[in-house]
Amino acid sequence: MIIDKINSSTFQIRVNSRIYNIETLHKCFYWYSGKFSIDIASDNELAVITISDFPEELEFDDILTTIKKDLIDFKTRDIVAKETANIRTLLIAKAFANNDEFDEVPFGDINDPIGFDAKEF
Amino acid sequence: MQMENKIAKEFRKFKPFDFYQTGTEKYYLLPFRFHQINSEKEVIVNEVGDFLIVPIGTARRIAEKEIEYEESLFIDLVTNFFISEKPIPDLIDVLATRYRTKKSFLDDFTALHIFVVSLRCNHSCHYCQVSRVSENRQDFDMSVENLKHAIEHMFRSPSAAVTMEFQGGEPLLAFEKIKFGVEYAKLLNKKYQKEITFVICTNATVFTQEIFDFCYYHEIRISTSLDGPEFLHNANRPKLGTKSYEMVIDGINTARAELGHDMVSALMTTTALSLNYPIEIIENYIENGFDHIFLRPISPYGFALKNQKKNHYHTRKYLDFYKKGLDYIIQLNKEGHFIVEDYTTIILKKILTPFPVSYVDLQSPAGIINNVVVYNYDGHVYASDESRMLAESGDFTFRIGHVKDDYKSLFYGEKARYFANFWSNESLAGCSDCGFQTYCGADPVFHHASQSDLEGYRPTSDFCLKNMEIIRHIFDLIDKEGKQVLSIFNSWVNNRPIIKAL
Repeated sequence: MIIDKINSSTFQIRVNSRIYNIETLHKCFYWYSGKFSIDIASDNELAVITISDFPEELEFDDILTTIKKDLIDFKTRDIVAKETANIRTLLIAKAFANNDEFDEVPFGDINDPIGFDAKEF
Repeated sequence: MQMENKIAKEFRKFKPFDFYQTGTEKYYLLPFRFHQINSEKEVIVNEVGDFLIVPIGTARRIAEKEIEYEESLFIDLVTNFFISEKPIPDLIDVLATRYRTKKSFLDDFTALHIFVVSLRCNHSCHYCQVSRVSENRQDFDMSVENLKHAIEHMFRSPSAAVTMEFQGGEPLLAFEKIKFGVEYAKLLNKKYQKEITFVICTNATVFTQEIFDFCYYHEIRISTSLDGPEFLHNANRPKLGTKSYEMVIDGINTARAELGHDMVSALMTTTALSLNYPIEIIENYIENGFDHIFLRPISPYGFALKNQKKNHYHTRKYLDFYKKGLDYIIQLNKEGHFIVEDYTTIILKKILTPFPVSYVDLQSPAGIINNVVVYNYDGHVYASDESRMLAESGDFTFRIGHVKDDYKSLFYGEKARYFANFWSNESLAGCSDCGFQTYCGADPVFHHASQSDLEGYRPTSDFCLKNMEIIRHIFDLIDKEGKQVLSIFNSWVNNRPIIKAL
């Protein structure tokens, strides 16, 4: 991560876009967009985040600390979201299915450990 | 047969740990989210709301597949559906059933039907969200024809249990309409056989013996407003020429004597003045025999916005008020006095139980239409109580039609389908990745009112700020105070005091 101070209210953050993809950057900086202006540009190698209209009452170093942490958190969220997209879709399809078309056959043989046979009753 | 028994026995045996290690992956992720709750811990929450409080960085370690089999956390993550040793866990149907249970409030669809039988009122509260008119303006009462149409719509709801809530203005000023409504609903119910709960939301200052007799006979619950000590209540809820506080306390006590103690409940509204008196408000509720209190912020709707000085405050100030109040209530519980904070309990039910909570402001999909509908005095139908509050100041965005319209066009019409774009927090910017998504909700009416945007803009949303901080605070308490506060929270969820062992 490389930080450039353009002027007193404008900063640029450059990150490797292979580490932090554009979705991660958008989701992360969304939460800062109420505080100052954000522009994000990204290509295959580099992502440039330009922060402008940075308010005088805030310390950039303080914000930078939280940005660094949030980037890691949103990257983690991105990993989880991508790996679990299919299982989540399956889960919700099963949850809202109106019949048993998505039910799995239970693992193993359903039987009673003490030899009691429910079919006899 | 012998072979079958052998196989059956084989399945019953405990397997060595490496039996479950399949494939090349160490483990597979299941959907989960996380949020930092204090300087040392974060909470990870799975798709059905189960949680684990873990050191900061654990979510990243899970995602990066750094958790080792030997760690006790590994078992916790598997058994709580955060990770799986197979691409699709064997118990996925259990997880799916739990997800369905969390969303089971949708099965019943609209359960709360609010009837604004009159806009007339004998009070002039500065935070009132609806335009109230003087006591003698009977043209602001709901007509019998519209009331009948509205009740018929209520019975078209698929819900087996419905709540018929009478609101105003002051609904008891139109008591004849309430009488007709209850009797007509009971008549129709001979056919529909629904479980009906009747509630009258009243300022408790216009009771008569006839009203009490009717309420007793039909088991009607009374919900009233009590804002705290006399000076505060009277400042918030002025009534020309009389003292509102004395009247409401007298009304509460008489109603309890006539109908039963538990048939009367009270709600408070937090005004700018109230912010300084959380302890006094709680003490006042206890003095007046209540064991529940809802530390409720003001609703930023309709006429409440006109008096900014008295009604507007920053959400952070409300959060300070809430936390001071909650700390005091928890302390009282530790000292053996059972008293419940209702908003915390709504969230705790979502955190600590597998079941949904029918609280329309904190659901996804949102409570509008899905759980609540309002039939206004003039026959127009609104998506929620807050929706009609907006309408009283000229914003008809959430008017879904008229009681004379057919049920399908009201409840499944173009407007309902439009609102559906904004009513699931699973698909809202800022919410879709939020660690507290399962415990929170979507509120398009609030965001339309406060941000002119049904989707809402989370970085400056007061709804988001309030709920995120309250949920974080609850987890922080659970983390720091452990079993003692959890036993209190469980007693609130179960609505019964902690029974101490002899």
